[in-house]
Amino acid sequence: MTASSRGGNVAATLLRRQPNTICVSCRYSQFRSYSAGAASATATAEAHHLKPTESQPHPPFTASRRAEYRIKSGIILTRAPLITRALTPFENAFFFYQKRLNERLVLPFRHTFYYKKDTASDLDWRIKFEERGKIAAKELGRYYAQGRNAWNDELLVGSTLSSEDRVREILLKDAENRVTEDGEEAQPDEIVPVESPMDRITEADKTNDVRRLDRKLDRTLYLVVRRSDGKWQFPSEDVPTNEHLHETASRALESAAGVNMNTWMVGRVPVAHLVTPPKFNEDTSMKQQGEKVFFLKGRIMAGQADLKGNKLGLDDFNWLTKEEVKEKLGGRYFHAVRNMMADR
Amino acid sequence: MSAFHTTPADHAKGGKSKKKRKGKGDEPDPRIINLKSSMPRAVPAPLRFARNRALRHWTIHRAWLLFQRKEREREAHELERMYQSMHNAAEELRQTSGPGTREEGFLYRVAMEKKGVYGHNAVPIEYARPQTETPAREPWNHGWTR
Repeated sequence: MTASSRGGNVAATLLRRQPNTICVSCRYSQFRSYSAGAASATATAEAHHLKPTESQPHPPFTASRRAEYRIKSGIILTRAPLITRALTPFENAFFFYQKRLNERLVLPFRHTFYYKKDTASDLDWRIKFEERGKIAAKELGRYYAQGRNAWNDELLVGSTLSSEDRVREILLKDAENRVTEDGEEAQPDEIVPVESPMDRITEADKTNDVRRLDRKLDRTLYLVVRRSDGKWQFPSEDVPTNEHLHETASRALESAAGVNMNTWMVGRVPVAHLVTPPKFNEDTSMKQQGEKVFFLKGRIMAGQADLKGNKLGLDDFNWLTKEEVKEKLGGRYFHAVRNMMADR
Repeated sequence: MSAFHTTPADHAKGGKSKKKRKGKGDEPDPRIINLKSSMPRAVPAPLRFARNRALRHWTIHRAWLLFQRKEREREAHELERMYQSMHNAAEELRQTSGPGTREEGFLYRVAMEKKGVYGHNAVPIEYARPQTETPAREPWNHGWTR
């Protein structure tokens, strides 16, 4: 292909390009074709989603008319999961299976390498070792990896050997000190129990207190508020002319839920949007203004929402998981924001 | 033959042989004995599976690979979904004029600014908190005040 024909191709591409497929800012800033002015009316109408319909063959457009859309900015305040997800039964069984396979593969445990002979820790280890039936592994049950029945390493269906609660209990018991200060075996009443970790199910889960933040610790929680007309939504407010989306969103959060929350706005880019198209009369005058709500994402690290004296007329708030948000918000609103929500 | 050799073998070459260190007994260091006995050179016996057992192991292994693959794809899909939601919102914002008399795309240009996104204090330090298996004694600080 010669140079001149290549140039012709480029020119043809430019001519073929439809000017109304790109927005106004791009068109004026990057390049400007000669047909742009003629098509600008259509382009603007399209940008506002005022496409010609059967009942309105010509989309209403006049320069002096007031704006079709109110622009609102909302914040979706989320609490990240605090604890890891629970293992699936398959994962649980698989990890147990791998541990037993590992027991079959490794050389026997040499406790003399880790515990000096005739010391308290040596005695401690030997006591626990005897109690486990002379098995070095703590949580694998009575399984002798080097013995005659080493082949029998598979868990049977319904076995509770690999359950996390049992393993946690065993490890806690193993952490107890079994030797007294005199270097003798401790009597049962002398053993100090080890402090157990907190339960993954909190008090707020048991009472289903949806206003507390320590519920559903392995899920993301979302802050939803109730307006005085009983409708649930995310805190949102109109964007005034002199503000940007993120400023309005943080202001909306402050005026809705108070300042006593340690929050962080993740970015300035909206993560979800909800568009309500405007309604027009027969004579193309506007019946009802449309609404565009842009949601920004926030994270909460500490604190609690407080609706006392808020300026938005809200009377209740909840911290809900994705499924509960779906129930509260209802179809269209949830449909607009569901894609920004994480699976967990 | 033995009648001719009146001296021990290691003294035969004019005292050049190594002498044992003074102050140590004849036995080697107990720590070395411990190390040697703890790290035997023996190789553990290989796993031997009969036919059905090997097939079961193969099935379990494949199930694990399948599980991991599904998790990976779910995560990728989740990220893609969230990104698309962001993309759609930004696209809508780009085609929006306002608020008030602002021209089209004003809010979009501001939203795309990267002020404070990089560098120090871009992400608050409280956010760098790993997930744990069990919660803290006080799972959430409700009394935090500004």
